[in-house]
Amino acid sequence: MSSTKPELEKYYKLREEYGVSIYVDRDTVYITTPREKLVDIASKLFNEYQCTFRTCVGTDERPINGFFSLTHIFTDDRSCLYVLVKTYLESDDPRVPSIVSVVPGADWCEMEARDLLGIEFTGRQQYRLVLPPEWPNNVYPLRKEVPYNYRPPVRGVSERVTTTVETGVVPIGPYHPALHEPEYFELYVEGERVVDVNYRGFHVHRGIEKLGESRMTYQQVNFLAERICGICGFEHSTCYALAVEKAAKLEVPERAQFIRSIVLEVERLHSHLLLLGVAFHLLGYDTGFMHTWRIREKIMYIAELLTGSRKTYGINLIGGVRKDINEEKKLKVLETIRELEREFKSFIETALSVPQVKRRLTGTGVLPKEYAVKLSVEGPVARASGINRDARRDLPYAAYKYASFKVPVYTEGDNMSRILVRVDEIFESISIIEQLLDKIPKGPIMLDRYEIPEGRVGVQVVEAPRGGDVHFVITGRGKPYRWRVRAPTYSNIPALKVMLKDQPLADAPITIASIDPCFSCTDRILVIRSDGRREWIRLAGVGI
Amino acid sequence: MSFIKRALKPVEVIIVAAKVGRVTIKYPFEEPLISPDFRGKIEIDPTKCIGCGACVNACPPNALEMIESEDKKTLRYFVGRCIFCWRCIDVCPVGAIKGTREFELATNDVLDLFDFIIHSKTRCNTCGKMTSETTRMQKFILERAPIAEVYSSKCPECRRNSLIRAVAMRKVGLYE
Repeated sequence: MSSTKPELEKYYKLREEYGVSIYVDRDTVYITTPREKLVDIASKLFNEYQCTFRTCVGTDERPINGFFSLTHIFTDDRSCLYVLVKTYLESDDPRVPSIVSVVPGADWCEMEARDLLGIEFTGRQQYRLVLPPEWPNNVYPLRKEVPYNYRPPVRGVSERVTTTVETGVVPIGPYHPALHEPEYFELYVEGERVVDVNYRGFHVHRGIEKLGESRMTYQQVNFLAERICGICGFEHSTCYALAVEKAAKLEVPERAQFIRSIVLEVERLHSHLLLLGVAFHLLGYDTGFMHTWRIREKIMYIAELLTGSRKTYGINLIGGVRKDINEEKKLKVLETIRELEREFKSFIETALSVPQVKRRLTGTGVLPKEYAVKLSVEGPVARASGINRDARRDLPYAAYKYASFKVPVYTEGDNMSRILVRVDEIFESISIIEQLLDKIPKGPIMLDRYEIPEGRVGVQVVEAPRGGDVHFVITGRGKPYRWRVRAPTYSNIPALKVMLKDQPLADAPITIASIDPCFSCTDRILVIRSDGRREWIRLAGVGI
Repeated sequence: MSFIKRALKPVEVIIVAAKVGRVTIKYPFEEPLISPDFRGKIEIDPTKCIGCGACVNACPPNALEMIESEDKKTLRYFVGRCIFCWRCIDVCPVGAIKGTREFELATNDVLDLFDFIIHSKTRCNTCGKMTSETTRMQKFILERAPIAEVYSSKCPECRRNSLIRAVAMRKVGLYE
């Protein structure tokens, strides 16, 4: 049906060039390649076709076909296409060439696949990423034979700060007033200047993917997905629901899609306001913090009015939403967001005119565009570095195709532009909510009957306040066979190394906060009871 | 002039603050700000519950659990695990579960966090073993499908046997 589209031509060319199999289904291009050609294909997609690298997914398909598989997820944002590059690996020798040399952003997800599935990557340095060092070497939690409640005897060893003679070390975290979640940064300083950064994360790896694949049903996973993140949870549950709906080819009622989009924008508003408040707080402008959060409180009330809860809205199900928006609520929402817009506009002008805020944001924590592209950063971080990319516009989902909005792009790449992107997005979100509430069609909000066939693949990108959430689902019987989640902070943290280098130490907290980090969503996957000594993760160093 | 205006811009926040006034409410002594649609604790009406377990299957965090013993079936609601999603209300076939706006659930007695609804199981009228159905479930089925009377009072094994016997009799005229 869609094989005649001109933007697909270049993908069909790959067939002749590399002898790989190409299959197109709606907006997804499935490329199955032998492992020898994987690096060439990845290089072609990333460098020549300018696709965005999102994540990679290892899957244990041995119960189905006797192979492991590795799927690299790219998106072609200009032609509105998802590109999945799949490689099958023999179960007795799961070895695959690494694509880190061409796509540096693949560093973490490859190591995650190695930890959790035992896939070995050749041509790169391998280290343990998500599992604690005490975890037994031959147990790979995401393999299907490992039960979800398996707990090996792990003995905790305390972790020590490494000190070197040449440079001073400033540890930030795992528990630190500037961080709201357990994560560990080690800043190497010369005088007041940061020269290098080490990052140790994954302290709160919760085993969510395994849980969703083993204990829960399709509808229950929605509520679990919502709890991946405490701030942008609804993006995760929408992303999961959309991925399953795409896999099962369900036509969800329009009204449900509108409600999803409206609530997504409500969540973006509260998340951006939250970050602005935190940023002002870190800059010592507590008045700004108090007033931003006071304004945010209105949004929290709207969220509760529309969904029944201030956070973890719980209205998404596969096939639609659970709560309708009636005329009375619509008026209340419109009235509140107009008031909010007025209040926020006058306040943010004042706040950004404060000299200490201006000076400490401008020119600090710069992420140049070339690094932003190489590291596949997401969301406001990418847009502040001059990458014009927004999944709401490029890969339209839910009801975003019915709204017109601008995507703010700044080219400076400093903390100020990351803040300004968010300020602009707040006004865009308000306008999107107004447009969608105006256009919302009548009709049901939930599919009556539907079926989810087995073995289908669905992948969805949803633009969360921090960047693109990626959910990848392979359907199974009564529950997902494989469910892979990639939160945006996962691709933004490696960029911190570039941002923090050669900066004064005093700017480190605001630079870390400027990516709006959400560490717990980055971590996910395994319950670690005792905290142990861990190997250092070198952040993906792109030539530095 | 414009320089002074720009320099004094940050001071405008005083006007904002003066207009807004105090926003913190004296919470425990004042009504909390929750909307009419707020989802809080659930209440299970023990007179309506039939013990079918639909809510147990739907509950994402296992806050509702069915504990089976020899002759009793106990539905346990533990508010400590509840995520207040109200999926149980959606799926309850008899409307026994009601949502409240209650959220101040702190207590110093852990038993306050539990609700138990105990159902008695029925006995199979053929072999005399305990079935996994509750008496109310049986009544519920009979009200809607009186035709099921023959089967509903049997345990699954006896039910299967009698079905096989009935089919066999119809097909080949076979009878014991």
